[in-house]
Amino acid sequence: MFLAILAGFLLALAAPLLYRWLGKWVYAPMALLPFSIFVYLLTLAPAVLGGENLGELHTWAPSLNINLHFFLDGLSLLFALLITGFGTLIMLYAVGYLKGHPLLGRFYLYLTLFMTAMLGLVLAGNIISIFVFWELTSISSYLLIGFNQDKEKSRSSALQALLVTGLGGMALMGGLILLGMAGGSYTLSELLQRGDVVTNHALYLPALVLLLLGAFTKSAQFPFHFWLPNAMEAPTPVSAYLHSATMVKAGVYLLARLTPVMGGTDEWQYTLMLVGGITTVLGAFLATQHVDLKAILAYTTISALGLLVTMTGIGTAPAMEAMVVFLLAHALYKGTLFLVAGNVDHATGTRDLTQLTGLSGSMRYTAIAALLAGMSMAGILPFFGFIGKELLYEASLQESPFRWMLFAVSFFSGMVFVSVAIALGFGVFWRRSESPTALQHPDKPLLYLPPVILAGTGLVFGLLQGFFVTPLLRRAAESMLGVEQVFELALWHGFTLALGLSVITVLLGYVLYRKANRLLSYASRFNDLYLFGPANLYQLTLKGFLAGATKITATIQNGYLRSYIAAIVTAHISLIVLALWENGPRLELTNRLDQLSQLRLYEVVLLLMLVSALVFLFKSQSRLTSIAIMGIVGYSAALLYILFGAPDVAATQLLIETLTVVIFVLILHKLPTFGYLSHAAERYKYILLSLAFGAVMTYVILIVKQYPLDSEIKAYYGENSYLLGQGRNIVNVILVDFRAFDTLGEIVVLAVAAIGIMAMLKLRMQKGDKP
Amino acid sequence: MKTIILATAIRILIPLFIIFSVYTLFRGHNHPGGGFIGGLIGSIAFVFHTMTHGPQHTVDTFLKLNLYGYPRQPNQSRSLYLMRMMRVNVWRRRKMARHPEIRHRMIRIESVYIIATGLFLAATSGMLGLLSGQPYMHAYWTDFYIPVLGKPGTPILFDVGVYLLVIGVVLKITFVMSEE
Repeated sequence: MFLAILAGFLLALAAPLLYRWLGKWVYAPMALLPFSIFVYLLTLAPAVLGGENLGELHTWAPSLNINLHFFLDGLSLLFALLITGFGTLIMLYAVGYLKGHPLLGRFYLYLTLFMTAMLGLVLAGNIISIFVFWELTSISSYLLIGFNQDKEKSRSSALQALLVTGLGGMALMGGLILLGMAGGSYTLSELLQRGDVVTNHALYLPALVLLLLGAFTKSAQFPFHFWLPNAMEAPTPVSAYLHSATMVKAGVYLLARLTPVMGGTDEWQYTLMLVGGITTVLGAFLATQHVDLKAILAYTTISALGLLVTMTGIGTAPAMEAMVVFLLAHALYKGTLFLVAGNVDHATGTRDLTQLTGLSGSMRYTAIAALLAGMSMAGILPFFGFIGKELLYEASLQESPFRWMLFAVSFFSGMVFVSVAIALGFGVFWRRSESPTALQHPDKPLLYLPPVILAGTGLVFGLLQGFFVTPLLRRAAESMLGVEQVFELALWHGFTLALGLSVITVLLGYVLYRKANRLLSYASRFNDLYLFGPANLYQLTLKGFLAGATKITATIQNGYLRSYIAAIVTAHISLIVLALWENGPRLELTNRLDQLSQLRLYEVVLLLMLVSALVFLFKSQSRLTSIAIMGIVGYSAALLYILFGAPDVAATQLLIETLTVVIFVLILHKLPTFGYLSHAAERYKYILLSLAFGAVMTYVILIVKQYPLDSEIKAYYGENSYLLGQGRNIVNVILVDFRAFDTLGEIVVLAVAAIGIMAMLKLRMQKGDKP
Repeated sequence: MKTIILATAIRILIPLFIIFSVYTLFRGHNHPGGGFIGGLIGSIAFVFHTMTHGPQHTVDTFLKLNLYGYPRQPNQSRSLYLMRMMRVNVWRRRKMARHPEIRHRMIRIESVYIIATGLFLAATSGMLGLLSGQPYMHAYWTDFYIPVLGKPGTPILFDVGVYLLVIGVVLKITFVMSEE
């Protein structure tokens, strides 16, 4: 498993290079990777279906209990097969969709990166690795949504998705850490055994809130649903893959994964049912308010995600069963419909539902795929979607105080799904029309084969449900419930209540489809309501945030070096005073006054020189004089270092002083004329500040000298410098050996500073204004 | 700021500065000195050169390598061609620069490259430990002793990295400031 992930990352990074070598044939290796992982997973499937949980452990940071742990059970296998199988088709589809695009290599980089991250997410067996892969999917999704980087809308949508899911990711991290503390382990397989401990822990509630925030933002649950329709700015392969089949289901995956650990409590159940229910109804309702194919699909996806969350919330065995079945069915038909929408967009240049008619003649295979997927979405008999719908109704009609509410939610969404399915699967393609929409280019095999395969899979799964699907889904439901499942999927249950309801749903859905135009005409009436919607709130928050940040930056980063230094010094003084005020050690000078008599002559001379130079500095009228005086101060300091036995420091100080003076001289004639622009009072303020700083530092040093300094570190370095460090110069051995890591950090800072100086000066020169 | 005394003196002093800075770098392990101080001494030489001659001249003199050459004739053997090129570049530099048919290529060492090399050396000197299962930055020493320079070991490599980085940083800052 580790090798699969590693290969994914490596191939992702190689994609631009491969594109340069192979041209459009780059899709061959890119599609081969998910396909071979798919086959590899299939070889593992018998063991998993037989009831084993496969694991693989690579130590990463064992001291922090964070390991690269992979874990494969039914739920992971279901998701992993979905990701790699669908991934293979998408890789093929992408080359047809983005044919001749100059950045195709980069697109494959992002897409493969995403696929690998998603695969890592579902295979991860350590909650910290889950978080790492989770963030990787957010980042790669950001890159993919913003792939058409020249479009303003594309960029802002990408940013929106990143901000919403990224904030959710941060909440998730907090939640996972709290969960790890509550459960006493970061390893998933251990946590799964400790559900009772976690739910009774004091940290349960905060962990739950944070985890739910993470999952809800990722899976576009109300009130965070608004990023998903905007994310449809991405090229269609991305929308189909990330925003219908895989990434948005990561939140659902997390909820399902943690059900045995966190689930079962009232908080868990009610929150999930409430949020999921609202999202279902809202998504279904908003889907009827749009004419853009991808927008409609996006809102129905939100609705479907809501249903999945609701089912997870109910948490009974039939609900879990319904959830996994519906999850698979939804991925199959929604992925197909997205690909179909992409085909239509590509071939006709429009995605407006009202302008598209009679395409079945010109796009035969796409039309067949759309019809099959539409029937699955509507829940017509031999399709896999039918089984899903039946189970959803059965699950929501179970005994519970909310049964009618739950049923109403799933019924309403089912109705809308039927209406959308008719519009997309039938209306666009098969409805008779006098003037079919004209095509810009004929349908291409690479574009119609993937949706046909996907839609066909939906039909095959429906007909042969007992073959591979049932055991897989059974094991997946088992991972959530923790007890063995024995359910059988079947197309025909006899004339049951659910069947009758299905028929009614289809009929009402058809009525809704006929009345769709009427509904659309009401759309403008809700505009006032949307002003208070979360999408608008997001915009307001973002604007306010930017304005606030600009203001704060303008205040604290005002560009005057003196105010920065003043701020640093003031903060320093106040912290020291704060620390010494109450409990700090008191200075006792009385018994140390005699030390003054040991003062040597040259020390006094140096001191006088320093002080007089400083006094002179305040009075100096030219820049050159002040530089020279600063030089005197610096050299005197270096002399002091020599006197007190620190030749290394002294040498450095001397050299730095020289360099400073030389560099100053280099730019001297380019600086504006020297003058005191500030008010006299301002100057005294800075003098006072400097005096205060000097006084505080002197005080601190006096206090430090008051206590004998016998630390073990000093002795250790003294003893071991030659034995371990092979050097007699302790300072240097500390710098390059004992504490080399610190030095490395320092020189990195130095390099960055040099680049920063270059960037600042060069950029200003390019703008054309003389500094 | 061109004074004849400084301009002449610095040309002679630069090799001395460099030799002294390298000496300081290597003696640092046992006596006062080290990469940081050595780097500062080395860079001061160039800074003075820049001050007297201007940054362009410094770059042309010290940070640029002119390679002369002409395209290989179709029937010329490869080894012969390589030898000619070496001769052209090693012994006949002055003459070749004026030759009309000979094209030359310049290799310019950007000061950022020096920074990058230094950082790379410093960061990778610790890798040896990592590769052999020890913690990062684990020191390795050889057993033999080179007279002036001392014992070679990975910390010395680290110090060389610091040395190069400091030279690069000071050069970069000086060039940017004086070009402005």
